[in-house]
This record gives sequence, C-alpha cells and structure tokens, in this order.
Amino acid sequence: MAKHTGRGFAAIEYPTGMNQNGDPSQAWIKVKPDGRVDVFAGTSDIGNGSKTIQSQIVAETIGVPYEWITYDNSNTDSSPVCTGTFASRATFVAGKAVEKAALEVRGRILDIAGKELEIDPGDLEIVDGEVVAKGAPQKKISVPDVAAAATWGHGELITGTGAQLKPYAAIVDPESGRVDLPPHSAISYAACAAEVEVDDETGEVRVTRLVQCYDVGKAINPTLVEGQIEGGAVQGLGLGVLESCYPFYPSVEHRGGEFGTYLAPGMEDLPSIETIIIENPSTDGPYGAKGIGEMANNSQPPAIAAAVFDAVGVWVTELPITPERVLRALEAREGGDGGPRRDGKKVVFDEELSVNAVSSGGVRFEVPA
Amino acid sequence: MNLTVNGVEHDVASAPLTSLLDVLREELGITSPKAGCEQGGCGACTVLVDGEARRSCLLPVGALDGAEVTTVEGLGTPERLSTVQLAFTHHYAAQCGFCTSGMLLAAHAYVEHGGSDDRAEITEALGGHVCRCTGYVKIIEAVAAAARGDSFDLETTAASPGMTNIGGVR
Amino acid sequence: MKAVGARLPRYDGVEHVTGRTTFVDDVRVPGTLWVKALRSPVHRADVKGLDTSPAESMKGVHAVITWRDVPLLEYGHLSALGIPADEPLLAKDDLRYKGQPIALVAAEDEETAQAAVEAIVLDLDEQEPLLDIRRAFDADAPVIHQWGNWYPHFEAEMDRRQIRKGDVDWAFEHADTVVQGVYRPAAIEHVPLETQVCLVVPEANGRLTIYSCTQALYFSLGVVAAHLQVPLNKLKLVGGTVGGGFGGKVDTATETMCSLLALKSGRPVKWRWTREEEFLCSSTRAPWHMEIADAVTKDGWILGRKMLTLHDSGAYARFSPYGLTKHSFHHTGAYTIPNLSFDGYVVFTNRVPTTAMRGFGVTSVSFATETHMSRIAEVLGLDPYEIRLKNANRIGDTSPNGVVYTDPSTVPTIQAIADAMGRELPADHRTMSRQPREGSLLPEHLVAQLGNPEEH
Repeated sequence: MAKHTGRGFAAIEYPTGMNQNGDPSQAWIKVKPDGRVDVFAGTSDIGNGSKTIQSQIVAETIGVPYEWITYDNSNTDSSPVCTGTFASRATFVAGKAVEKAALEVRGRILDIAGKELEIDPGDLEIVDGEVVAKGAPQKKISVPDVAAAATWGHGELITGTGAQLKPYAAIVDPESGRVDLPPHSAISYAACAAEVEVDDETGEVRVTRLVQCYDVGKAINPTLVEGQIEGGAVQGLGLGVLESCYPFYPSVEHRGGEFGTYLAPGMEDLPSIETIIIENPSTDGPYGAKGIGEMANNSQPPAIAAAVFDAVGVWVTELPITPERVLRALEAREGGDGGPRRDGKKVVFDEELSVNAVSSGGVRFEVPA
Repeated sequence: MNLTVNGVEHDVASAPLTSLLDVLREELGITSPKAGCEQGGCGACTVLVDGEARRSCLLPVGALDGAEVTTVEGLGTPERLSTVQLAFTHHYAAQCGFCTSGMLLAAHAYVEHGGSDDRAEITEALGGHVCRCTGYVKIIEAVAAAARGDSFDLETTAASPGMTNIGGVR
Repeated sequence: MKAVGARLPRYDGVEHVTGRTTFVDDVRVPGTLWVKALRSPVHRADVKGLDTSPAESMKGVHAVITWRDVPLLEYGHLSALGIPADEPLLAKDDLRYKGQPIALVAAEDEETAQAAVEAIVLDLDEQEPLLDIRRAFDADAPVIHQWGNWYPHFEAEMDRRQIRKGDVDWAFEHADTVVQGVYRPAAIEHVPLETQVCLVVPEANGRLTIYSCTQALYFSLGVVAAHLQVPLNKLKLVGGTVGGGFGGKVDTATETMCSLLALKSGRPVKWRWTREEEFLCSSTRAPWHMEIADAVTKDGWILGRKMLTLHDSGAYARFSPYGLTKHSFHHTGAYTIPNLSFDGYVVFTNRVPTTAMRGFGVTSVSFATETHMSRIAEVLGLDPYEIRLKNANRIGDTSPNGVVYTDPSTVPTIQAIADAMGRELPADHRTMSRQPREGSLLPEHLVAQLGNPEEH
C-alpha cells in the first residue's frame, strides 16, 4: 500500500484554421472625426479574449493607442462574416482580416496626412497616434487632426475592409487522401511532461506537475496566451483522469447530471504548472502568430498515461484513467495477465478491447505480417 | 418581506420559496449572480448574505427577511473598484466572465475574514467554485495578491509564475 | 511594437469584474415567454403518436411546435462541405437518443411550460439501441440510421476516410518489431458555466432578433435562415459574448426552435437549458476507438503505421465527417512515418450526437499516437525523448496525405521539455534542429517521402 510517483511525456502538433480551409473572416473599420477607431468584426469572444487580441492588432497596425479602439462584434447587421470561434482561428484567420482592414485605414490616414503636410505619404509613419515624417519629427500632424481634415475638409470617411480566406483544399484522391493545397493555415506545436502520484491501494491518480512547452508563433498578448495554456491544461487533466459522460461506456447508464456526479476539475485538482513559450513566427499569421486555444488540452492525457505506467507499471489506454481502471490493471498484472501478447515480432497490447474481440466479423483490424 | 441589496431596501413581492437568485435576477433586475446550475454545485450564483458567501440558488427568499445582501454591483464600480476586483483585473482572473461574480464575492469574503495568500488555504475556501476557462491559476494568484494587500496596475496584466519565453529557436 | 506583444488588460475586463457583461440570459425584454422541451425518454423508438393538444389548450401556453412547424426540417449544417442533411430539427418518425427534442412549448412561466410539456401524449414503440461502435458493422446489429450504421458519403461515396502512403506491407516485412495497441478516449462534456440559452424577439417590421450564445454568429445565422427558408436579413443575430463554449455552442441547438416559437406566438421567447439538460442532452465530445500497429526497427525508426479509427458520432452525423477527416490528416502526430494505411469510420449509435470540442479530431489522435510512442520506447528499451526526436517532423518532411512541413517545431519543443525536466540528452540530440533531414537522420526509407517546402 503505497504512493508511487512517475513521469511521462508527449509531443503534439495541431492545425490552425478549419481543416481544408474555406473559412472566411472579414472586418471593417471606420475612423471617427476625432481619430478614434471603430472595428466591426463577427468573431464571438467565448472567453478566449478575441476582442482584446483583435483590438491590439488594429492598434499596432494603424499606430494608435489601444485605448482608442472600440470593438463591436455584437450582431450580424453591423458585423461582416466570421465563420466562428473554433479551430483556433480567432487570432490567426480573423485577426488577419482585422489586420488587413487596419492596413487600409493606415493607408488612408497617411494619404490625407500627406496632403495636409505636403509630404509624400511614403515618407510618413504613424507612431502613438501621430503622423510623423520619417527623419524629420518636427513635421507632424496628429491622427485626430487628420480625421478632422478628412471629415470637414476632404469630405471623406476613413475606412478599411479586410477579408481573410484560404482557398478550400479539396481531396483530389479519396483513396490516398491527397489534397490540392495545404489544408490548414499553420500548424502549432507543443509538448508536455506530467508528474503523477498513483496510490496502489485506491488506484487514484493525482497529477502533481505539468511542464508544458508551446510554440505560439508570436504571443500577441502573453497574458491571454497563459490563460489559454492554463485553462487547457486543466481541461486536459479532466479528459485524462476525471471526466466521462458515460462512466460505463458504451453503456449509456449512470450519466452524471450535476456537478459532483460529473467530475469537472476543481481548484483542488490543480497541479503545479510551468510553461515555456517559443516564438517561431508563422509566415502568414498576423505578426507571426499561430493558434493556441484548441491544442491546449491535447498533450496532457498521453503524458499522464505514460506517467502512470512509469509509476505503477500498467498501461491504461481507456480514458479517463479512473481508480477502477488502475486497480483492475494492477490486479491483472498481479495475476500474470497484464502484459502484451508476444507473437513472433509482434507485441500486442489491449487485445480484449480490439474490434477483433468484440465484433462478430463485421469489422476487423488485420496487421500485415 | 424585506431585503436590503447593495444598501438599498426592497419590499420583495416574490413567493417565499422563490430562490434568492431568482428574486435578484428576475424581480429586482440584478443580473450579476448567474444561474450556472441551480443545484448549488458551481458557485456562480454566490452572493454575500450578512457578509457570508452563500449560494443564492439554494436560499428561499422567505428565510431571509431583513437580511443584507451584497452582489458584485455592491463591491465596487468601474470608477472605484474594490481590492478583489482590482486584483482580478490585473491578474487576468476572468476570461468569459460567467463564474466571475460568484468567485469575486467568495474571494472578497475570504480576504475580509483574514484569509492568507497560502494557495492551499485559498483552495480550501474557494474550491467549490467551478471555472472552466481559466484553469484556476490566475484566480488563485489574484486572491493571493488581494490577501497580501498588493497594489494593482490596471494598465497591464501580470504574468503567471512559472512562465518563461525563450523566443525563437532554430 | 507597442500593442502587439504587450500584456494589455482585457478589452471587457472591467465589465467582467463589475458584473456588467451582458450574457443572453441577462437581456430583459418585457413579455418574454418561457420555453420547455419534450425530450425523448428512451434511447431508440418509433413514434406511433404525438398529441400536443393537451398542451396547446392549457391556460398560459402561447405556442407549441413540432416537426410540422419547421419549413425545412432537415438541414445539413456542413452541406457546403458535402455532408448531407440527416437530422430533423424536431423528431418526426423515430427517436434516436435519450434527450432528443420532440416538441417545444412557450408559456407565461416556467411552471406552466413544464406542466404543458408533461401533458403532451407520446406513443412510442421502443426499439433495441445500438451502443457499441465495434458491433455496428455486424450482420446482426440493429440498423439505426437511414444511411446504415456508418457514414457513407465521403468523396466518391466512400464509406470511410482513407489514407494510403508508400508501401505499408514493405514496412511490416522489414520491421524488427511490431507494436500494437488500442486507445479509447471518452466522451466528455464541454461544461461551459453558461448553459445553452436563446432569446428571440419578433420585431414590428417582421424581422426576428435572436440573442444567441453561439460561438459563430454567421454560421448560426445561416442555419436558422435555412431551416426557416428566409433570406439572411430577415434575422438579426445578437451575441458575441459567450459564457464559455469549447466547441459546444456551434451546433445552433436552440436558435431555430425559439425563432419558430416567437413567430407562432408573436411574443419574445427565452429557452435556458437547465444544468441537467446541459449535462444529459447537450452534444458531447466524441468517444473514439483507435487501433494502431507500428512497424519499428530496433533502433527506433517507425517504418510504417496501420491504423483503424472508429468515431462514435452518436445518433446523427453533425460535424463528425469533418472531424474524422482532420484526424486522418494528423494520424502520424508530430512524426514522419513514410508508409501508411489508415481507415476511419464515422459510426452511429443511439446516444446524444457528438460534436466539436477543443482539439476536435486531433485530441483523440494525439492521445493514441503519443501513448503508443511511449509504449514503443518502453518495448524497445529506448529513451522516450530520443525516439521522438529521431522521428520528429523536419522541414521538407511530408504529412500523411503528402502536405509538406515548412516550419515544424517538434524538435525544439521536445528539447525545451527535456531541459526543463533535467533530462540530459546526448550531444547529438541536443543539437538537432528543424532543418531538413540529412546524414544519419535521413535513412533510405525516408527519402521517398520528402517534399519541396518551396513549392508550398
């Protein structure tokens, strides 16, 4: 009767944007007569902070303070199309659309400023809400003054639109799965090491430490990135050791209909979390960003499974890794029964779970040689 | 029956078995406490009743005659945020925001009653609150910071402990 | 840079901490009716009779809807991707999962709506459900879907998602060891703190304002418009502020039904799911069954992989064919495996339809392939970091379906973890990089799979 510690590790990858693309996002921006910027985009913020990220992108791209941005994603009358907040596309795809719209706005501001200052727009830049001549900073005009000039002098609405759409990548050969174009916007990468403590009397698996590494391309807002990583880590922990809609799957009996019978992770389940961020920029994301939201819960379950093996010598490959499953595996091992079957060069695990054991022939998994 | 909510006295018209949550949201139009589960299981409905954090979905209003109820609206305003509200903002302890009102009031009560910045003690006090977005790390950081009496800069947000950025690698 | 890269506060941060963020359930419209649903009490049944008149005639009830009220009953949400419609908005001839919506009531208050639902007379002929995806293909399995028990409409009307690359027979013949395993991650709930909720207000000009918790305003707009057979500007979806989604609020599970009730009653209607409905009736992450056999050399090269995936779609297809396709494109994980044979099936069962959830399609394959990789290391007596570094994607390697990797970061992420865990890697592994394979990292069997990163 003892607690055993173990370590496990997993390395993963995840595509950004809808698989096979064809998922547009659009944005439009207008500038008020005092230079404040209104952004209209259709991206729902589900907590991931897309309102914040897209506002940061616009502020940076135009060259005005973040506080000058108003962001409206509230309805389909004023906002253009955004396919949705999923597939880790809110920063990469939708963010690219707002970046494009912001670039158009920047261009219009520089054009009008150029007329006001009588300087070629190509020799101007926008810094902190001011249009300044490169190398001659005494020649400047504020963005609010440019906006006022546009409104009451030039008779122009300063606006910009942006649309991001990677063309649909069709499967040209369904037998091999080959496609005619890359079927994703970018691929993100991550790795995770897990430390667990397994009680060999109760079977309970406690995840004590998660060490994670994420390549996010560019952290547009590092705090928001941390939020995704931490939230994802706990969801991954839930997927690995706690949660199941159908505790006796494939039976549908005994579903948990409330907190307490469905085991969503609580504060008490929180391990220590250390994270390393890498920034290898993407070639076509806004400021080199890649996606982070979805993959954040993918690396923990396999790292935990490997850690459980390291701790007590059994592989549990049905999730969640419940105390019951651990104890049954330990019992099977005590009975001499838990290891793989060896057959020539084959090492065969989990035979009792296979389709070959359960199906009456309708589906089989045959391995060559 | 009588209820004081955020310092304002109300004559409650709802039937005595109506939950405090429904009285607040439907009769009085105070929508910050949320109907997360109406089973007492998530904490999103938490309000302060006479200074104690209670689950308003489980409290029949008839049992609360004369009570003083505080919701998040009574903690602070955008112009004058309370300590826990400042802490949550600076430490990015709210993502979707749905669990936040309940979490804040429980955190406020914890700090008011002298809770420390010890992570285990915070977990013991607030562990019955479910959050699905944050993974709890920044919530605990925020409560610890509030308990310590840190000051909070609202222009930036804080990094989590245990985070490093190694930039680009070949 | 000033804004990008900065730890700026959340755009709506102050609203969140002052309780002023407006979620759908916080919107107040005078005269709003409460909605409750009659849901299937069984896993599978034929509907013999449905009599809603006791509900319709109840005092306080303003509208009752069934399948008859839906202009287009079946609409394939991903029909643009070639996935045909298979699911009625409200059940018609049969019931295929416990919790399936059959009829909805809009009434003055929650109690009346619930009483009306309970007054509806439902006459059922219960049938044997199919629950185990491994049995779905057997001759004696009950057939539970009009397409058969598995999805038959992949390209060229194939009944599976298939990936073939190189020569998998060669790989298994030349392997020193073959490692086989089965991986079964579970269905889990999204558990957003905000349950499914929708408020629809009929406007004087004939439009509908739909306050929605959807993760995808325009996607849901299109779905509702299609079911109602109206142009997009007849509807205004209001939202964009969601109390957690995680993939569970794309299905557009409430908006169309509430729209129909609003039209029929002429009143605003609100449907807020209870937490019990959210746990028991909302769509879930899918259970998956994955069998992997890897042909490996004694020094840790993975020569080939054969894989079978069964995806439990629940009662209807929803987004499952899309998820399985994504899964198949990533079934080698972060590694370069040149010889592949993958077959995947979307299988129907009599449980709540499964849907997208964080990582959709790839969460499952990451669990299977990474646990399998750890097992291979253990069986061969090799270091789990070194075996991964060796097989890791590099610039110029190709994916299962031939897409060239231009920028894979597997090597640096593995090295960073090894460093953080105090694992001392051998010198040559410490200096490995993403750069194209050469020398000992480019054995003969990996040459044919190389692609040109410049072309992509």
